[in-house]
Amino acid sequence: MKVIANLNVCQGHARCEDICPEFFATDAIEGKVVIANPEVPAQLEEKVRLAVRNCPEGALRIARSGQRSEGGSDAA
Amino acid sequence: MTLLWQPSSPDHVPAELVVDFDFYNVPPGVSDATQIWHDLLRKGAPPIFYTPHNGGHWVFLRYADIAEAYRNHERFSTRGAQVPPLEPFPVLQPNGVDPPEHDVFRKILAPMFTPLAVRRMTDGLQARAAAMIEAFADKGACDFVRDYAAKFPTSTFLELFGLPQERLPEFLRLSDTFFRSNDAEVRAANVQEIYAVLEELFRSRQAHPGNDIASTVVQARDAQGEPFPWEDIINCGFLLFVAGLGTVTNTMAYVWRYLATTPEARAYFRANIDDQPAFLNGLEELMRINGVSNLYRRATHDFEYKGIQFRRNDRVVLPNNVGNRDAAVFENPQAIDLARKINNHVTFGVGPHRCIGSHLAKREIMISMQEWLKRIPEFALDPEQTDGSVFGGPVMGFTSLRLTW
Repeated sequence: MKVIANLNVCQGHARCEDICPEFFATDAIEGKVVIANPEVPAQLEEKVRLAVRNCPEGALRIARSGQRSEGGSDAA
Repeated sequence: MTLLWQPSSPDHVPAELVVDFDFYNVPPGVSDATQIWHDLLRKGAPPIFYTPHNGGHWVFLRYADIAEAYRNHERFSTRGAQVPPLEPFPVLQPNGVDPPEHDVFRKILAPMFTPLAVRRMTDGLQARAAAMIEAFADKGACDFVRDYAAKFPTSTFLELFGLPQERLPEFLRLSDTFFRSNDAEVRAANVQEIYAVLEELFRSRQAHPGNDIASTVVQARDAQGEPFPWEDIINCGFLLFVAGLGTVTNTMAYVWRYLATTPEARAYFRANIDDQPAFLNGLEELMRINGVSNLYRRATHDFEYKGIQFRRNDRVVLPNNVGNRDAAVFENPQAIDLARKINNHVTFGVGPHRCIGSHLAKREIMISMQEWLKRIPEFALDPEQTDGSVFGGPVMGFTSLRLTW
């Protein structure tokens, strides 16, 4: 399982970071989501799913491992 | 409140969509201003309706429509959107302009309000919160609005702008008049006075820059390396003054009012006082339930939305508090569930104008709750409190909230 973030849609609510700071961070310039490694460790899957569902902008989505991100706007 | 289905509105508004609703007017006996909004739903108001009050405006009651208005700036603009219409009104950078112009000032401000930047303010916020609470903790009673909720965000504003805390009374008076007065002359003089203070502040930071928001804004340069128009700089300062004070004050008043009447909630936050995720989860639910802002948008052109004709310059009011209880989005929306799992509330808006200060606001409230509960674990509403302190409008709240312990 991996997570793909659409930075054009992210508005920096940082709900993902509040819910799962082990996986999500935010940058120091715009406060948008930063995902160091899109592959989700098995022990974090549940928390990451919760964080994805709590994005008020729908900027996060879950993909199968190995799936490529689409378009230039996605930052995995 | 009665709903009158009368066609006393522009001719593009069908009679069945007209509701007699004045969101500034909270009738005597109503315990808090959100109730007039929730009454609309109980009495069967259409999800999109028009009221002739306050210059005439639409209201969106559903989450999906509120979110659409926030996101679709090509149809629903923040520019010149005041309700009732107020012209001339300063273009408050960056809130008062649409993308892409909006992005210029937003980018100047953004680094100062990221979660990272706000986390660095924690020690200062804690020290000021603790000192303010200790001033009355042994007295057994306070007016929470006067003694804390109005003072704390104003004091934070002074710190962020590099101003001495000795100016707190002056800024309290300025913000108090701004948020409470409905006298046109008093308001005009008050706005002039705020602008005079900001003018002096930004001039002094221009001459002697420091490490504060005013200095950052005044030193910012555009793509050509030129300073921004002075008017934009001052208006940006005015926006930060307007947006960060009354909203936090009144959200805190709602939160403390809820805590005062809900022993289980006090127990939850006390039990999780050092457990950041659980505390934040409960806080997020308090943000959902206690959204105090009713925000404005203006139709940029004639268009049809959900089968309804909108005309250029039609105003729309977006009640976050109502959207946050939409059963299409929230499970058991009327229940206050501090352990709620999915909570995509719109208290801070969504889309490009998402409240830039949301992380600061939440941290101010979180730290205030922690410092308060450590010193005043149990408290209640003063039974002598009259309900004359309730007010409605774009920011709903209380002029006073007397607590005892």
